[in-house]
Amino acid sequence: MVDDVLRLKLALLGSAFRGARRLARTGLVAVLIAVFTGAVLDAAQSFRPEDDGHRAGLIVITSILALALAICPLTSGLGSALEPRRFAPFPIAPGRLAATLALAGAVGVQGLLTIVLVIALGVAWAGTPFEGAAVGGGLVGGVAIVLTGQFLVAIAAQLAVAPTTARTVALFARGVVGLCLAAAITTALVVERGRDDARVDEVAAFLSSSPLGLPWAVAGSEPPALTARMLGAIALVGVLALGWRLLVGRLLEAPERQRWVPRSRGLGVFDLVPATQGGVIAARSILYWTRDPRYRLAILALPVAPALMMIALAIAGVPGQYLWLIPIPVLALFLGWFSHNDVAYDHTAVWLHVAAHVRGASDRWGRAVPPLLLGVPLVVLLAPLFAVWSGIEGIEPALLGTSLGLLLTGIGVSSVASAAAPYPAPRPGAGPFDQPPLTAATAGWSQGLSLLAIIVLMSPTLHTAWRGATGEPELLPAAAIAGAATGVVMLALGVLIGGRVFRRRAPELLDLVLRS
Amino acid sequence: MLQVTGLRKRFGRTIAVDGIDLAVRKGAIFGFVGPNGAGKTTTLSMITGLLRPDAGSVVVGEADVWRSPGDAKRVLGVLPDRMRLFDRLTGAQMLYYCGVLHGLDRETARSRSEDLSRALALEGSLDRPVADYSIGMIKKVSLAAALIHSPRLLVLDEPFEGVDPVSTAHAIDLLRSYARAGGTVVLSSHNMDLVERVCDSVAVIVGGSILATGTLEEVRAGSSLEERFVDLAGGRSAVEGLEWLTTFSD
Repeated sequence: MVDDVLRLKLALLGSAFRGARRLARTGLVAVLIAVFTGAVLDAAQSFRPEDDGHRAGLIVITSILALALAICPLTSGLGSALEPRRFAPFPIAPGRLAATLALAGAVGVQGLLTIVLVIALGVAWAGTPFEGAAVGGGLVGGVAIVLTGQFLVAIAAQLAVAPTTARTVALFARGVVGLCLAAAITTALVVERGRDDARVDEVAAFLSSSPLGLPWAVAGSEPPALTARMLGAIALVGVLALGWRLLVGRLLEAPERQRWVPRSRGLGVFDLVPATQGGVIAARSILYWTRDPRYRLAILALPVAPALMMIALAIAGVPGQYLWLIPIPVLALFLGWFSHNDVAYDHTAVWLHVAAHVRGASDRWGRAVPPLLLGVPLVVLLAPLFAVWSGIEGIEPALLGTSLGLLLTGIGVSSVASAAAPYPAPRPGAGPFDQPPLTAATAGWSQGLSLLAIIVLMSPTLHTAWRGATGEPELLPAAAIAGAATGVVMLALGVLIGGRVFRRRAPELLDLVLRS
Repeated sequence: MLQVTGLRKRFGRTIAVDGIDLAVRKGAIFGFVGPNGAGKTTTLSMITGLLRPDAGSVVVGEADVWRSPGDAKRVLGVLPDRMRLFDRLTGAQMLYYCGVLHGLDRETARSRSEDLSRALALEGSLDRPVADYSIGMIKKVSLAAALIHSPRLLVLDEPFEGVDPVSTAHAIDLLRSYARAGGTVVLSSHNMDLVERVCDSVAVIVGGSILATGTLEEVRAGSSLEERFVDLAGGRSAVEGLEWLTTFSD
């Protein structure tokens, strides 16, 4: 069976050499591989083990390249991806299939480039006591890359329901890989210049204790840390392998793209909420946020924006203590803003609300419940933690107040925007990347203005908080109170105004989704 | 029960509905028939408060649908054509949702959902997501959703499209007993036989205007409804330009 799958994989690779267009594409890929190999090996040779900046830079660059390599299988599209569900009709034990697919995954461009990366790591440390550790850590890291790639392919194949979605996934992956390569080159240049070693050092220290950087930071560590990191990396691979095995098992058993069907007489979430218009709309919203891929993707993507911002600002040289202040407010802002087009997501199903003449405020409150349920605990739990990490005295209430303010103001603004200026959205049942056939100019306006409105309404708080954090600590309590107060007032106002607009414009909203 | 006067709607340059007047008495089962694109769905959407008319008024019972929508929509039960349901909910959740939106309390919403699902033979499917339903099943759940708040006027757009004969018979029995008890039904359909069997009065709409209206006997004027309908809709046009279709290729 292993032979068969490997032969299949080789045949798939071989098909890249048939046909003029595909041959041209393969040629391009080959050139890219050669450039990558040359550049990486060249960089490895110019590595100076005794230079602290170089050591930190090596960890950052290898981690970024590892991320790029893990994503790289998605860039070629999912058309002929060896994803587990394709093997569901054959009588293959899930355990064997998981192992075989992982092995087959290693054969190909991703595997080749991963080997290049591991060799380069060995070359970099050659002639030092860390040579063995580098190769060992690199090999473990390589396995992690391949397994992560398999995960991504399997998950993307489940998400990509329509061909357009599959194309978008590939484009998106190419974008991320491009960004990673750019980041790696930037880091190399920064290290070469040697003036911002402290910054690179901080990023490296952070990466070394994250799963992404663990295997690549094994070499160059002192013995206790070296052992700990090596064990950590091995444990990471163990978790990935186990997770892969479980995922394959589940994909083989679960019927195709079927999500969860309860077999009880109960009404699920509906039993937990009051039997009022607002109550059932909230329950329905919660179900959609948890079950609809359009909402789920947004929730999954939510942590990405703050993380990327942190990395970008870290490379740009923003001091660490301020970096920790960024993620939670940004997360709160986007979570609040996310529902600014909620009505369009219902598509024509919103007729039920129109026909029942739902009270506008009930409709708005109901839709506000999922972001509140998700956002408030998240902010309350995480804001103090990030405040402590930033190390700025007394910042905690201000960070909490500002984040809550952004979340609530965002939900308030979204309540008005989704009733006043909805624009065509992906339809129910479509993949999250599928764009509607008609994208109106309203889309850009609505997105931009609603985001701007949140920031403008919160600007007094943001300004006060910023001054408080940068040298006027006596302003911090004021920022906390201002943030919370703005949030509560804006949420209440947003629900009231949005409710009136919704009720007045309900037939027009329905007309708009009908035409889109 | 339903009084429509001077209803008008245009989309861009096309006039979809051109000044329609209708009167439906209490207890009637009123059929609304017309060829594709005649303006049936547009008219019914305006009657049910889903699409704002350019001119004209719709009065349900005592209440004007567009002036006091709250009062009118309380007594209106609606089944629109080609509109989604919240299809990630199960059938049971969907019915409960509609019941509560229309102001029922928890127990009433639950017990009525069960009664309706029994009457429409939906029991076996209530725990599946609506997204998995066939077109006929969706129509049945929609009909149940339209009935759950016991409205005085039911407006059903193509209620039997894709519904199997047994379920159609169930649904028709249900509508008849509803009308006997004083409820009023307005339904649109392409199926002339069905309209002839079920409705006691009809209106024929072509090109946005009503060409004939009255009791079934009046509109039929001696021939079958189907014949009358084809006449009113412009008669059978001779099949020209398709001669090749009668010269078979082998």
